[in-house]
Amino acid sequence: MSAFARGFRLSTELVAGVVVGALIGWLLDRWLGISPWGLIVFLLFGFTAGVLNVMRAAGIVRDRQL
Amino acid sequence: MAVDPIEQFQIHNLFPVVTVGHTEIAFTNSAAFMLAAVVGITAFLLIGTAKRSLVPTRLQSAAEIAYEFVATTVHSTAGSEGMKFFPFVFTLFMFILTVNMIGLIPYTFSVTSHIIVTAALAITVFLTVLIYGLIRHGFHFFNLFVPKGVPIYILPLIVFIEILSFISRPISHSVRLFANMLAGHITLQVFASFIILMGTGLGAVGWAGGVLPFGMIVILFALETLVAFLQAYVFAVLACIYLNDAIHPGH
Repeated sequence: MSAFARGFRLSTELVAGVVVGALIGWLLDRWLGISPWGLIVFLLFGFTAGVLNVMRAAGIVRDRQL
Repeated sequence: MAVDPIEQFQIHNLFPVVTVGHTEIAFTNSAAFMLAAVVGITAFLLIGTAKRSLVPTRLQSAAEIAYEFVATTVHSTAGSEGMKFFPFVFTLFMFILTVNMIGLIPYTFSVTSHIIVTAALAITVFLTVLIYGLIRHGFHFFNLFVPKGVPIYILPLIVFIEILSFISRPISHSVRLFANMLAGHITLQVFASFIILMGTGLGAVGWAGGVLPFGMIVILFALETLVAFLQAYVFAVLACIYLNDAIHPGH
């Protein structure tokens, strides 16, 4: 895999985690009327998931070993 | 003359097919290029494998190389059990590769520069992993979200993050392919419009100076050809990695 493809892979992994967290948080806010707490909490979780994705993709963390 | 770099991605209705409710479903230029890709791949493989000669013709060895390439990829990432998904991965790889390559030809339409197409492909992979994993392993499939050796008091948090990470897969999977193709085609168009702008703005000096952006286009085009192949490969490899989770969860 070229360096360009690798870099692109890592950045999308991070962004995807954050986007999923933000989306779930925003939807919970709308459904439960708990704005802005859903967004705050889930954005943080999403960021964590994104970092986990990146570490997996980069091979720093072996898959399924956290 | 300003050149709109987004114009190349516009969808045109060629002819209407069916109307569902108030929504007209039409055969678009995007669908036409997808159909062209499918017909092209089918013809390539059928003609390539028709003779089955011991000393292959050029077309036959090309078909064999395509098979060998994907088969090695699937085997090395998802193991011999993963080979049952070979037809699926081969279809994904050939479709994306062909569509990307067709999109490189000037005046054609690049199907994978629309996120709805790449998202549909990524969601297909995602659902295949989910459904196959659940059928094959039942409840044990959820071991995927429970890493070994984690203290019990932080386990709920970890499982939660693992689930988010799993949900984010189809997003990164689809955005990667879509963004690469979109960005590449916009860059090419922008550099091409520099030539026109310089030529019409500065006259003969401008046209002569247009050699510089033209040189960039040649270089970028080589890069884009690489990206078109590489992204098809990356998409297929990631599909294999995800399918591997469905075959062996809880490693």
